[in-house]
Amino acid sequence: MTENSSASGVFQDLTIVDVSGSVATSYAAKLFADYGALVINMESAEGFPTRGLKPLLPSGESAMHGYLHTNKQSVVGCQTYLRDEQAIVNADLVIYDPNHLPRPDYLADIERNTCAISWYGLTGPYAAMQGSDATVHALSGLMRGIGTPEGPPIIPPGYQAQIIGGLSAFNGALGHLLAISLGNLNSVFQLDASILEANMCFTDLAAINAYNDNPLPPRMGINRFPPTYPLGIWPCKDGWLGVTALTPGQWKAFCKLLDMEHFAEVELFQSSVSRLESSDLLEPEILQALSQHSAEELFYKGQAMRIPLARVPTMEELFEVDQYSSRNAFSTVTVGEETFSAPSTPFRLFATPPHFGGTVADLGADNHRWSTTHE
Amino acid sequence: MNSAPLPLSGLRIIDLTMGWAGPLATRNLADLGAEVIKVESCKRFDWWRSWEATPEWVADNGAEKSPQYLSVNRNKLDITLDLEHPTGRELLLNLVATANALVENYSGSVLPKLGLDYPNLVKANPELVMVSMPAFGSTGPWSEFRAYGSTVEHSSGLPHLVGDPDQPPTMQHVAFGDAVGGLNGTAAILTALWHQKQSGKGQFVDLSQVECLFPLAAHGVLHQSVTGQAPQRTGNAHPEFAPYGVYPCSGDDAWVVIEVTDENQWQALQGLIPDLADFSDLTDRRHRRESLDTIIAQWTREQSADMAMQTLQSQNITAAKLNNGHDLLHEPQLESRGYLQWLERDHVGLQPNASAPFRTDSEPMPIRHPAPTLGQDNDYVLEEILGLSADEVSALERQGVIGTKPELAN
Repeated sequence: MTENSSASGVFQDLTIVDVSGSVATSYAAKLFADYGALVINMESAEGFPTRGLKPLLPSGESAMHGYLHTNKQSVVGCQTYLRDEQAIVNADLVIYDPNHLPRPDYLADIERNTCAISWYGLTGPYAAMQGSDATVHALSGLMRGIGTPEGPPIIPPGYQAQIIGGLSAFNGALGHLLAISLGNLNSVFQLDASILEANMCFTDLAAINAYNDNPLPPRMGINRFPPTYPLGIWPCKDGWLGVTALTPGQWKAFCKLLDMEHFAEVELFQSSVSRLESSDLLEPEILQALSQHSAEELFYKGQAMRIPLARVPTMEELFEVDQYSSRNAFSTVTVGEETFSAPSTPFRLFATPPHFGGTVADLGADNHRWSTTHE
Repeated sequence: MNSAPLPLSGLRIIDLTMGWAGPLATRNLADLGAEVIKVESCKRFDWWRSWEATPEWVADNGAEKSPQYLSVNRNKLDITLDLEHPTGRELLLNLVATANALVENYSGSVLPKLGLDYPNLVKANPELVMVSMPAFGSTGPWSEFRAYGSTVEHSSGLPHLVGDPDQPPTMQHVAFGDAVGGLNGTAAILTALWHQKQSGKGQFVDLSQVECLFPLAAHGVLHQSVTGQAPQRTGNAHPEFAPYGVYPCSGDDAWVVIEVTDENQWQALQGLIPDLADFSDLTDRRHRRESLDTIIAQWTREQSADMAMQTLQSQNITAAKLNNGHDLLHEPQLESRGYLQWLERDHVGLQPNASAPFRTDSEPMPIRHPAPTLGQDNDYVLEEILGLSADEVSALERQGVIGTKPELAN
């Protein structure tokens, strides 16, 4: 943990212990660390699983681990039970993944608030099943809507399900810590946070619509979703333009932007659903019109006309977008002698800002702070 | 029924949000027990009720039948206040004076024009937490640009990481940014409320919905930063693992995802599918990925997605069926945890409601009441909280400051 990131900020009086180091537990703890909590990673001698995640730095260290673990401490646990570790003494919250514990009863008798973050929840027929980001996207229904009609559906890449799970667990845990502070809760809590249920935020409406006999149609194609059209990502003379026209006003403005005003007043195209049903008719015209312009030009002109258009930046371009750079949307992470850019905390408290970037503790770097059981 | 207070009991949140992201942020607070007062007006009602309202829609009580509105506004109260009317603004400021936080997701210029921006609101309540959650954040050259959840996904660069390299950058959802923005909005409000409780101080909180998606694209962002090279889209081919993919099952549009991440799982899969005996280590499997997938697909086609999942999981192989909306209504894991809570609601009858994704008991956090109708709680809020008389409330209705029916612009 860096000296200049020592306790300060919103959570300066909170101590959080992560004993598992999955992406989900790490992200939940990261949000506490970003706002000044003392976060202690209680690692095994091999280190958290995140230490092996790609991409790797030239040194062989994991950049993903670096992103998830700035401004935290690293302690190598050396006791059979967590209750015997010094680091647990002042812990306000212990975050864990039941599938990543040194032993099943590692948390016995800790008498601390806990937050379990598991793939499917601690109960139910899937509780002991193997899980992954992909299985969560499959079961939640998100994956079923991505890709071409003939399939196969497309797997969302990376660790998206776990990030959502960690974020939701942070909300639940902080809500319950706040409950104690408000006097609404007088005993320790044991939170059960399900990554699957967290990711239902994208798809719970699909279930509700199905119940109301208005099920979403099956996959309609790449970048084609109900209930509106045009909506998608299309090539321009240079670059990609993200288009959404939902209201009648936006549709008319979009037609004007592309010199397609002959479509603007057509009765059939005044409703979003009707346009979607006519998308095969409209799309060639739209593609032709877009190809005459640059994405940048259409983006600014369209926004001036109150159409929610977007540039669709590549990863390389992302760092150059003035909107993002002006807000420090990416900040510098230091791992040993190496640095790289990573996303900053998405929400900003103006009076008590978060850490922007920071350094990452080597495995066991903070053993000496909890020294009664370490050399 | 547990009679203990809910975690955020005693906190009051003024909700000036519309659509999906903002209302989801405040719904999560309402689920935790905060008193969330949603403020609409009859002329400027939540567009999530409809973005194409017509006189027929009004006559048919369409404003009360939108599943998307119902899903993100349960556990809240609802009042109407015409904020373009001086009295409406005055009443809002009086309400703000009693609240812990106010959340809004209007376009950047709306509240300043109404004199309801942070400097003015904080005069009414110096300890107020105000969370603003526009698409691109409240600072920077794009701060007043318009966006939906789809625009947020577009702008994040995430589509450049998804799908096949020969396809366009690929979206994952019609409004991906909304749900993610909503969850981050909850985190932002809770963080500021924690600070308020510890310090007695409020503050302004700025959330960019686009920046909320950057953590989901972190693997690509980091790849670009570390290697200087753009990450390649690889479709369903995992850069490290094989087999890994989505395989067809018996039935219409039925699929199972299979992910083999270690040698134990690989050997178990070979035990289930003898034709895989010809493949050896991970290098070989990655090299002959197409042949590998063909053999696995032959096996999966012979069974239902659920059966494939159960068979594979019985051997500790990571696998799951691909659900659709109808499947979710009967998904065993969700069903066993009482994930969908069923409540009667005026105009639509019995409806399923998705629970909060965390719990401290065997039961989910309670959904105490369904989404309110437009202006349902005018009397309670204006009389019980602001101390107006019934005659004063009636006068407000006559003046058009409050109401319970949508009014369409001419």
